[in-house]
Amino acid sequence: MTPAAIIDAVVMIELHRVCKVYHVGPVSIPALSDVSFSLAKGEFAVLTGPSGAGKTTLLRLLYRDDVPSEGEVHVLGQDLRTLGGRRVAALRRSLGVVFQDAKLLPGRTVYENIAFVLRVTGTPRRQITARAFDALRAVGLSARAQAYPAQLSQGEAQRAALARAIVRKPALLLADEPTGNLDGDMAAEVLDVIKDVWQGGTTVLFATHQAPLAAELGRRTLTLLGGRLVKDEG
Amino acid sequence: MFGFLLGEALRDLRRAGRVAVSAVVLITLSLAALGGFWMLSANLGRAVSQWRDRVRIIVYLKRDPADVEGVLRRVREWPEVASAAFVGRAEALSSLKRVLGKDAGIVDQLAANPLQSSIEVRPSAAGATPEGARALIERLATLPETEEVSGGIEWVERLAQWQRLLAMVGLGVGSLLALAAILTVTTSTTLVLHARRHETEIMRLVGAPEVAIRLPLLLQGMIQGLLGALIAMGLLAAAYRAAAPWFAPLLERLVGLPEVAFLAAPAVVALIAAGAVLGALGGLLALRPAGHGGAR
Ligand SMILES: Nc1ncnc2c1ncn2[C@@H]1O[C@H](COP(=O)(O)OP(=O)(O)OP(=O)(O)O)[C@@H](O)[C@H]1O
Ligand SMILES: [Mg+2]
Repeated sequence: MTPAAIIDAVVMIELHRVCKVYHVGPVSIPALSDVSFSLAKGEFAVLTGPSGAGKTTLLRLLYRDDVPSEGEVHVLGQDLRTLGGRRVAALRRSLGVVFQDAKLLPGRTVYENIAFVLRVTGTPRRQITARAFDALRAVGLSARAQAYPAQLSQGEAQRAALARAIVRKPALLLADEPTGNLDGDMAAEVLDVIKDVWQGGTTVLFATHQAPLAAELGRRTLTLLGGRLVKDEG
Repeated sequence: MFGFLLGEALRDLRRAGRVAVSAVVLITLSLAALGGFWMLSANLGRAVSQWRDRVRIIVYLKRDPADVEGVLRRVREWPEVASAAFVGRAEALSSLKRVLGKDAGIVDQLAANPLQSSIEVRPSAAGATPEGARALIERLATLPETEEVSGGIEWVERLAQWQRLLAMVGLGVGSLLALAAILTVTTSTTLVLHARRHETEIMRLVGAPEVAIRLPLLLQGMIQGLLGALIAMGLLAAAYRAAAPWFAPLLERLVGLPEVAFLAAPAVVALIAAGAVLGALGGLLALRPAGHGGAR
């Protein structure tokens, strides 16, 4: 392999001078300004900053839910500016994403939600049940497998979303406030699940506005403030 | 994977609800109309071809023709003639007696045999068209031995015209209803698209490929079409069973058809396939505009 190829294989995320401006009618809202950083394979990074700092915006650029106004975004070695529809779907299948608002399919049970992401990758039926329940057990939700999203508490919905994100054993886990609605004990449990996944080889980018949690995790911390990356330490 | 897609399609079908039911009803009506007229027309068609086979042109010969064998030989060589047979005067008289049955006694009271000898000509395929038959009759009339030519196939042609008319009406009514059916499937599919757009967005975010998102919609349209087609075939079969015993004697007397037949197997298969195609077309029409968007 050429040195460049090695870097491609090792760098999971790379942002270069990324700006994102939302336009709402005549108003321009700069959500990200000149953000550059990269994340290597195997890292566990915490993305923190107060509410409205741009954490969700940044994650949405990483799974190509939106495109930057300026700058470059590379994820898993792919330039997201030039990625076509089919490749976007393929990229998303190799990611695990915990959305801040869970985004569970409303008409399906928790189990169905998790099985769905395995079905669309053509996983054999027998494996689906086993793997879905493994993921549910990991987040402590196996008893709620047959519940519909509307019947879940917010914390349960977030854990279901985490189960869905990890069930495919992704190369990169993007978690947006996965502990946002959990009490201390439950938050610690969810953190343990994410640490297990990380130890299994998954690179993790974990967004939270809870500064103490970031400190406690004690790993690399990226701090956003008003859309700017003001600190990158650890 | 197909089981999964089918499951998704059934879920979409449930979501389409009452509009899907209307679509199925319309497809049923259109295919039942198409199939019904098709069946009638096919039966008339059988009557027509049976009558074409039975058409005879009778050439009455002048009294004491010189060379009957020679005439027969010449006529048989014409391409528009399949066969020709001589019927002598005595033969004609005995067949008249047969026809008269118990009244045959009148014939015996005649002093002499009043009947003429004749040649019975069976036209070939070329001679069984309206123009072919007219030309054949004219040609037979010019033979020096001919006294008079009788016969023709005009009424068989009228029957054939009726048959074509029935087929056209069936096709017209069927197509109109089919158009309405396609639009209804389109409406039901659009409704499903709308109802599940939130879900579709989530599916895209978790990396579901477009087939997993769109194929079920196409499949639910096809299922509507197939359901409609199967119901239509069931209705036709039931109607056939109920009506055939009543129709059969009527058709027998009117056009001499010994039995009424149901649609042939290929026709049934074609109609069922048409149902699936109608449904798929309806689904495609609904999916088409979104097809330019791609994943986002
Ligand atoms: N779709 C959008 N249209 C317009 N403005 C938006 C949109 N999404 C986000 N914003 C704005 O961009 C800024 C950053 O929002 P973002 O959701 O990224 O913050 P956050 O760091 O995730 O906050 P929180 O901790 O509350 O989740 C905010 O000012 C927000 O109002
Ligand atoms: Mg956020």
